[in-house]
Amino acid sequence: MARSNFRPQAWINTPILISFAVFGTMPLWIEQAGFYQYLGLEILIWIIFALGFNLLLGYTGLPSFGHGAFLGIGAYVFGLTQFNVVENLWLGLIAATVLTGLFGAAVALFISHRRGIYLALMTIAFGQILFFIASKWTSVTGGEDGLLNIRRLPADFWLFSIELQDTAMLYWFAFGVYAVVVVLLWRMVNSPFGKAIKAIKQNEQRVAFLGYNVRLLKGTVFTLSCAVAGLAGALFAMAQEGAYIQVMNLQWSGIVVLMVLIGGGFVSFWGPVVGVILYFVARDILGAYTEAWLLWFGLLFMLLVMFKPEGLAGMWQDAVKRLRNAAKREAVEPAAPKALAE
Amino acid sequence: MLYELLPHILNGLALGLLFALVALGFMLIIGVMEIINLAHGSLFALGAYVAMAILAPDGGIPLSAMEPWYDLSPWIRYPVSLIVAPVVVAGVGMGLEVCLRRTYGKDPLYGLLLTFGAALVLEEIIREIWGPSEYFLPIPREISGGFIFEDLIYSTYRIFAAAFSVAMIGLLWLFLNRTPYGAVIKAGAHDSEMVRALGYNLRILRMLVFGFGTALAAIAGVIMAPIWGIRPVVGVDAVIPAFVVIVLGGVGSFWGAVTAGVLVGLVVAITAAFLTDWSLLSMYLLLLAVVTFRSRGLAGKASVLER
Repeated sequence: MARSNFRPQAWINTPILISFAVFGTMPLWIEQAGFYQYLGLEILIWIIFALGFNLLLGYTGLPSFGHGAFLGIGAYVFGLTQFNVVENLWLGLIAATVLTGLFGAAVALFISHRRGIYLALMTIAFGQILFFIASKWTSVTGGEDGLLNIRRLPADFWLFSIELQDTAMLYWFAFGVYAVVVVLLWRMVNSPFGKAIKAIKQNEQRVAFLGYNVRLLKGTVFTLSCAVAGLAGALFAMAQEGAYIQVMNLQWSGIVVLMVLIGGGFVSFWGPVVGVILYFVARDILGAYTEAWLLWFGLLFMLLVMFKPEGLAGMWQDAVKRLRNAAKREAVEPAAPKALAE
Repeated sequence: MLYELLPHILNGLALGLLFALVALGFMLIIGVMEIINLAHGSLFALGAYVAMAILAPDGGIPLSAMEPWYDLSPWIRYPVSLIVAPVVVAGVGMGLEVCLRRTYGKDPLYGLLLTFGAALVLEEIIREIWGPSEYFLPIPREISGGFIFEDLIYSTYRIFAAAFSVAMIGLLWLFLNRTPYGAVIKAGAHDSEMVRALGYNLRILRMLVFGFGTALAAIAGVIMAPIWGIRPVVGVDAVIPAFVVIVLGGVGSFWGAVTAGVLVGLVVAITAAFLTDWSLLSMYLLLLAVVTFRSRGLAGKASVLER
């Protein structure tokens, strides 16, 4: 009987399968496309991070401007676990995810009753606090120099172990993580919990009147989103073979918001994915021509906020709607003369 | 003990009053336009750069026609830069306001995002023109340097900065409370639709208030430049304390912002006297302590921030 409730489309759908097909084969064709393996890895890690972030921004409507701090914490925790506790990939990843989640929960205690702009300001403050501590606590984080020589640990399975030294191998591993994260997140946004957080975005007060504990829901989303950021941070530490302070600063936290919004995180689960790809590809292509590529990217972003805040995913949805309407009109028009003839 | 802290307290006062000046411009914009201007810091930095371009030959406008100007006494060039820089920045700010018009009436988040993009763009423009290196503002010799009073070293410039900020804050208060223009701005912050209904042109009012708010940031930028140096990222250093001051003081309260500014400046400076590296952290801890117990800050009213 329990199986009758099982809806496969709540776990997986066509876009997820398409994304598996694209990302699952990326190391095979990315060099032919004129890019390099590391870019693919970077994109995939930031996609994991941005998908987690969009739980906050796109689904719950909580604009966090300090999320980069949690990516950084994940990276530091991964490195410190490896140096001081145990050299094991799985334990490192779990430590990064759980501890970053705990950091997120602690921050959520202070901010989860706030909303909108006030929340944005408070997340800026917390992001700065964490950035500041990381930059000054040099004995632990290495300060401005960062935590160097973080190893790409081998992935131990029960019977065998896979070396991840090679960037392509690490990419495959990150792809495995991506697959798990994307399916779980998709399942989550299609659960009653997902419905509740979407309702919070629309009208927090009504959700509260319906008897939900809004503060708890918001705190949970924040914690989950931070945990995903920690996981992405751990992968990032492996990719960069180090943990650095830069991702924790205000500009990087803002750039994550920018990526998610350009892609269309407000209206689509896939917005962050599109946005991250666009950002990194633009960085590589525009960056080859001009040092000031962020200037042009920033201008593009401003235009988008002014004219189409739903981002690329919003444009896509509009185009699909227009095509459907056109098809409908075509289907109706031949009928019209017939009606006249009668 | 307290006596030895006197120079630090003075430094903190100067810093705090400047933070308050930045925050007041920021608050005017929140009041009338309900927009959090994340580009405020970049406009602060732009103010410092424009002043430098007017004052200093090395970071300045490389025109031979400018040379007689650079030969003039700094006592002429400095006041001119203090007037021209805010005017130029106000122009940029008004341009930004025109872009912002499309976000009025929508989720306030869009305004925040648009100004974040503008901050990014402005910072890149500054980098393009002046490069990433650090500059210093050549101020007249009479107000730079320091002096010794009863075995303690005081910075002359900090005293000048504090006095100048007090004068600016006083003028701003007079402008807002004793002139008809100030009355319109305050009414606009209270209920902008009603102001329009009374026959004022809301579009122009908003544009002017935005320009005015950013001009205050630019003035603070010029005054702060000799203390902090001029770097492209200096904007973030200014905008973050401004947020803290606003949240701490409470949105919509003039004296709340001034009090919070002075408080933040003092806390930062006194922490710096004992633990230099951790001075900025104390600012955030102060914020947390106050906001945990008084969620609207020291003197805040309900505002757009809570929507």
